[in-house]
Amino acid sequence: MEILNQIKDEWNAAKTACLNGITGAMKFCKDEWNGYTRNIKITLLVLFGLVGLFIIFGIQILGWGLGYTDMSNLYPFGQWIIGDLGLVGLGGGAFTMGFFLYILRVDKLKPLINSTVLIGFMCYLFTLVFLVFDIGQPLRAWFGYAYPNWGHGLMPQSMLTEVVWCLTFYFCVLIIELVPLPLEHPVLQKFPFIHGLTHYMHKLMWIMAAAGTFLSFFHQGSLGGGMWGVLYGKVVWYRPAYFFTAIVAATAGGTAFMALCAYIAGKVMKKEVVPWDSFQTLAQISGVLTIFAFLFQAWHVYMQATHFVPAFDRSFLDIWGGYYGIWMVVLMFAAYIGAIVLLNVGALRSQERFFVAGISCGVGAISFDKMIVVLHGSSTPNFPWKSFAGYNPTIQEWGIFLGGLATMILIYMLFAKYFPLFPHLNKHGHGEEHAH
Amino acid sequence: MKIDRKDFLKVAGGAVVGGAAGFVFSGAPFNAFQWIVEWTQDQYVPGSGAERYLQSICQACPNACTVSVRMIGERAVKIETSVGGGCPIGQNLIQQLYHPDRVAFPMERAGAKGKAKFTAQIGDAAWNTAVEKIAKKIGELRAANKPLSIAAINGAHAGVSGLLLDRLVKACGSPHVYTEPCVHGASSAAVRALYNKEGSLGYDFAGADYILSFSARLFEGWGMMADMHKNLLAWKKSGTRLVQIDAQCTRTASLATEWVPLPKAGTEAVLAMGIAHLLFKAGKRSNAANAAAWTQIVMNDYTPDRVAKVTGVPEATLKKIADALMRARRPIAVAGRGAKSVSSSTLEIAAIEGLNSMLGGGTFIETPPTLGAPRYDAAAAASIKNAKTFAGLDEFIKSKDAFDVVFINDADPVYRSVFGKELAKKLEQASLVVAFTTLINDTAAYADIVLPTVTSLELPSVDKKTVVAPRYKAMHAGDAIIAIAKKIAGVADSFPYARYSDAVAAAGKGGRAAGGAPTIPIALFEKYYNTISKKVDDTAFPLSLIPFEVPSIGDGAGLALPYTLKSIDEKVYSRNKLWVHMNPETAKKFGKCEGSRVDLESQRGEVGSVRVHLTKTVAPDTVAVPLGFGHRHYTAYGEDKGVNPKEIMCDDIDPVSGNADWWFTRIKLS
Amino acid sequence: MATMKRKWGMAIDLDKCTGCGACSIACMQENNLPMFTDDSDSPKRVTFLDLMRVTNDRDTDKKFGDVETAFIPKMCQQCEGNDPKNPKPPCVSVCPVVATDVGDDGVVSQIWSRCIGCRYCQASCPYEARVFNWWKPDYEGSFKEGLSPDVSVPSRGTVIKCTFCSHIWKRERDRMLAKGVKDINAVLYTPSCASACPTGAIIFGDLNDQASEVSRLAKDKRAFRLVHTIDDKPEEEKKRLMAIKHYPNPKVYYLSSKQWIKDMQKFK
Repeated sequence: MEILNQIKDEWNAAKTACLNGITGAMKFCKDEWNGYTRNIKITLLVLFGLVGLFIIFGIQILGWGLGYTDMSNLYPFGQWIIGDLGLVGLGGGAFTMGFFLYILRVDKLKPLINSTVLIGFMCYLFTLVFLVFDIGQPLRAWFGYAYPNWGHGLMPQSMLTEVVWCLTFYFCVLIIELVPLPLEHPVLQKFPFIHGLTHYMHKLMWIMAAAGTFLSFFHQGSLGGGMWGVLYGKVVWYRPAYFFTAIVAATAGGTAFMALCAYIAGKVMKKEVVPWDSFQTLAQISGVLTIFAFLFQAWHVYMQATHFVPAFDRSFLDIWGGYYGIWMVVLMFAAYIGAIVLLNVGALRSQERFFVAGISCGVGAISFDKMIVVLHGSSTPNFPWKSFAGYNPTIQEWGIFLGGLATMILIYMLFAKYFPLFPHLNKHGHGEEHAH
Repeated sequence: MKIDRKDFLKVAGGAVVGGAAGFVFSGAPFNAFQWIVEWTQDQYVPGSGAERYLQSICQACPNACTVSVRMIGERAVKIETSVGGGCPIGQNLIQQLYHPDRVAFPMERAGAKGKAKFTAQIGDAAWNTAVEKIAKKIGELRAANKPLSIAAINGAHAGVSGLLLDRLVKACGSPHVYTEPCVHGASSAAVRALYNKEGSLGYDFAGADYILSFSARLFEGWGMMADMHKNLLAWKKSGTRLVQIDAQCTRTASLATEWVPLPKAGTEAVLAMGIAHLLFKAGKRSNAANAAAWTQIVMNDYTPDRVAKVTGVPEATLKKIADALMRARRPIAVAGRGAKSVSSSTLEIAAIEGLNSMLGGGTFIETPPTLGAPRYDAAAAASIKNAKTFAGLDEFIKSKDAFDVVFINDADPVYRSVFGKELAKKLEQASLVVAFTTLINDTAAYADIVLPTVTSLELPSVDKKTVVAPRYKAMHAGDAIIAIAKKIAGVADSFPYARYSDAVAAAGKGGRAAGGAPTIPIALFEKYYNTISKKVDDTAFPLSLIPFEVPSIGDGAGLALPYTLKSIDEKVYSRNKLWVHMNPETAKKFGKCEGSRVDLESQRGEVGSVRVHLTKTVAPDTVAVPLGFGHRHYTAYGEDKGVNPKEIMCDDIDPVSGNADWWFTRIKLS
Repeated sequence: MATMKRKWGMAIDLDKCTGCGACSIACMQENNLPMFTDDSDSPKRVTFLDLMRVTNDRDTDKKFGDVETAFIPKMCQQCEGNDPKNPKPPCVSVCPVVATDVGDDGVVSQIWSRCIGCRYCQASCPYEARVFNWWKPDYEGSFKEGLSPDVSVPSRGTVIKCTFCSHIWKRERDRMLAKGVKDINAVLYTPSCASACPTGAIIFGDLNDQASEVSRLAKDKRAFRLVHTIDDKPEEEKKRLMAIKHYPNPKVYYLSSKQWIKDMQKFK
């Protein structure tokens, strides 16, 4: 009897606490909302609207299947796979920065690292989210761990098996890297245990950075390039050289993306969130990496044009017809060249507008690359009597894609507001001066 | 024992964590996932049963291929055929058998006519009630001396049940029994005009060494598919040359030894007479009874230059064909343009028979099975004698006469006839429309009583083998007709058959007869050259509309079957749009491109919208439109898909067959 | 149990094919393919055997009268890659969950219930032979009666494919076992499409057996393989190309006496 009473008491206490919590939270939200400017309010409404679409269409896709997308037997991969490739590629900035900061000790990157780890984490999280929507049987997703296609020996047979495992491990690494960020909140730092934990985690983070770099080299290569390079039946995709291109492109585009995100955050918050020096260092790193990425891209396009496409008894220019034709390749190379020039010439890089243009070009180049892979690979006909196919994502695909990105932005905003995402801000009080 | 708050939380938390860990490591979640997968998919598991094979005969067409039906328990799951037999229709039998929209019970109309709303009469007495009702109505009409208001329309493949229905209506005193237009119907009318005999034209494909086909799409449904498949193999072996004349490069044209493109669609008769002209010049003579008159027409009106002008076929090509015919040992010319659904032009069949009459006559007459004349009572005999009759179905539909009782046997004339709308009005006015059918189609939608018939697999064949027992309360139309007839005084005497199979035995197999010397119906040819050249040069409607049929759908019957829907070419019907085929030159002229939406307009009206597919397989200034689409009622699978071009197709009635010659229509794009 | 000595292959004589569609209907019936009231969205269709209508429209010098048309029945071509002793179809190695494999009889299999629906194999297939169940397969009411218990009804969200009707092989093997014949090489069978072909245009058999009709036809002058133009290259060139990459090397042969169909196999 006593124990029953006790449960009852606990229950009532919990209920009261909950009710108080809800009232408090509601009041808090209301106050917060009223504290925002008009522009922020509009932005938030749009973002929450997109999240709403994400939820509605997510239920539809998971419950009733992929028939609602414009993917088809001719177009097995669509917008979400572009999203996956793009997010993993751009998220590659996280391991690159980790490598430069913790292994090569480029300390100027320190003010950027929290933001980078969060973005990296979200990129990988939403890659997995999009993948869950994209596979026809999400409830069988664990088959990837239960029945992996290892083949003989240690090397996995299927690039996708490799991607699934590597992605999972690296996602774990990212979670560990992310843990200190919320724990660095001033309230939590008052607990000596947490303070000590974060301190030691930072000390040992080079291990994670090394593990992350090791893992990333594999899955960046596999997902970005290897997955496509092994498709020997498909003329657009078959390019064995693409594996390495994808790794280098991810380091180049990813670092540019990390700089771009932090820069935009600073603009929105109207504060100097990261010292200009740090931006410049990162842009310089990105610029050098972009040169390598460009060389790799050029090399594999050359290999494709001279070796692989002729091996299919087709001509290189001929496969670049249709909606997603040669113009996309030209645009991609233009973006590469833009990034190389703007980020490597110090006189240009140090001017804010050229810096922004440069990192945008870097992000654009890698995004175009991923779009070309997915869109053009399926679009090219397999039979000479068929024509180039087109792909028009449906509202469901847009809803989930944009809703996912909106969720990422909201999480980023949340961290920027309540957690020490940019430690630089605290060091200089609240730096009132505008970002450069 | 006093438990403090901390301990309580510890214990509770521990229990939850332990339980969760145990649950995860037991593997239960994975089983649960698997179970959820299955549950969310609602996966159907087909029932099992003892496997056996039943040998039977496919009765979908008179060719009667032997089939072996794979049975699992009492369910038929697969049709196996052997080489030289079988066709997609046979493969579709399982779907026909188990179609969920099959008429399961006798039904009575519940809503307005044409709305296809019915109430099923489920009880055992349902058939009796329906039969009594029909017999009573006919009895009343006979008593009121109005037997002429009884009519019947048979489907092209009604077979012996069609003969029984014919017998029933005639014994009642009405001559109004018509058959849906088909290749046999068209040639039967021509045979009557040319040879004054009953039966349809048969071609000696086995003996021929040169076959000149005038747009007869031999391998796409023309005649009996299984027969034509056998012929194809035989011709390959014997080296028989097939020359296909067609305005569209169909599969038959490409399988032929040679394709003679016909730039002006619908001018096959002119071409035939042009070739006849050259044969005369080369010394061939016609064995026709009125050879002199025929020769005169051919020699005067159809000189090579005039023929080349109308048909667009160069004179040199005409010469080449004529030479080949002269050289050939046993050439035949084949009439009946189209595939399964051949339109009626007695003139064209006569012109091609005229050509055959110069080539040694490779044709014969296929006499159909017959039950002979019924026993007319006095009233019926008098009524039949004085009745005004129509040459064919379309003439019957077009007439102003009202009908009170109309039987529809395995037919869909509201959909298939160019006068579908007029027929629908007639059926609306009739007080009793009886439809024997397996699926509710555009015509059955107007029925007052729908009687469920069986599919080929439920039929006892001649040797009394049935694959599956008739489903629900279905009964063969033949049996139903006998049951009705037996209830009508004065008619019952004409039906000495206990069941349908007795009638099949009595009707026999039909046979072959020599045609002899034809008499060419000269009257038809007067002014023909002028009429056709005017039609071909019509500038108000600058394009020719010709139909084509796609595999498995034919003239529309196949559209209710899901596996047929799955196999439709994407340039025929895709994403709820029908595609018409057009030469790129034509499209350029009218400013259309691949995928353009167009409406097709003829003198009779407009259909649309359809999409344009550009292909050089179609003659310039010609639009090829797929047949078989645009049903209003034909189960959830067949209805509201595309448009029915018959609505705008030419409605000139052939005076001999009494059916519209719709195959070639002048249209414009709008 | 003896080791499998058979290697199943197919030869399709396009000169005999009238495009009637019996093969495709028979295939759908045999393999319990899903049914829908509207299946006009052809890129999302679930069919194993696609009756492709081919014309030589693309040749700009051709006019009405010069073009021709043919139907090419296309199913899974059962590729084996460069080395038939170590078959490597483009689709098998890519599967992350081993839902597809190539058997010792050369048939590329697929486990309906293992597939997670990632569609990587579809992307890898140069013959568009693999299909994904975009919608939940629907068998309205009594249509279920006609389903065969030999083939699983597919789930929504999985890839399925033509397996040369390998369940018929199992059926035949069971019959042989019942007769006391244990040698698996004694088991012969015919897939549904081949047995349904009214003109006998589709010939199925053992490519390892030099005496079989399919072996004979595969070596025929008229024989070619779909979009597999490496077959026409000289030996030296072939060796050079095969050093660069794998070729599908399908086990389905097509025969035609018409040069234009062979010309259509090459991209221009």
